[in-house]
Amino acid sequence: MKKIGGVIISHGQVANELVAAAETVVGELKHIAAVSIGWHDDVETAKNEVARAIKKVSEGNGVLLLTDMFGGTPTNISAMFLEHNDVEIITGVNLPMVIKIASQNKEMTLSEMAQAVESQGKQSIYRASELLMPQKLKKDA
Amino acid sequence: MLKGNVTIINRLGLHARAAAQLVRLASGFQSKIKLIRTDNAVIADAKSILSVLTLAASKGVELEIEIEGEDERSAFEAVQEIFKNGFGEL
Repeated sequence: MKKIGGVIISHGQVANELVAAAETVVGELKHIAAVSIGWHDDVETAKNEVARAIKKVSEGNGVLLLTDMFGGTPTNISAMFLEHNDVEIITGVNLPMVIKIASQNKEMTLSEMAQAVESQGKQSIYRASELLMPQKLKKDA
Repeated sequence: MLKGNVTIINRLGLHARAAAQLVRLASGFQSKIKLIRTDNAVIADAKSILSVLTLAASKGVELEIEIEGEDERSAFEAVQEIFKNGFGEL
């Protein structure tokens, strides 16, 4: 089975740590790479690093770029790769999104995977007290 | 279909790594494996870690296991066993 590759791209070390956390949970992830862009890194250098990471994780079915924040440098650099149609970008990466890419158990197209990861990321945000203490919330509103 | 109840006995509950263990085990079987919280009826697919985590099952929570498929007997035993072992954290 060919997996969709994943590259997590962030300011600072967030990307590395997200991948490390996902690996602690689900095991080694050969199809996911992290690119941490330093606050003062040169754009060309950063772009080359993203290009290398895409090449490394690609299995031929496309690569999903997960960036930390829309409008930030990691997203803007990622956008330079959009002209290749085997790349999609999802912004606002969180750990459940990385785990979603990690645990692919059936072959999906890049666009299907992008949709799944986007909705997973959105669904995974909870106000925990609503889930864990529903009675208390009703009382206090 | 086989059904049975288990209780979470390890201190940390069904946290990320424990859930990952359960998912790895469950994914080794053909059968459909569902986990249902007995107190609020939240249902999870035992083969999806992100689904299992939404159970938010802490220590003491009771879950109903529902397994259906050709290998349901061995899956049922294996899943019950991993809960009884407290995911190796006892």
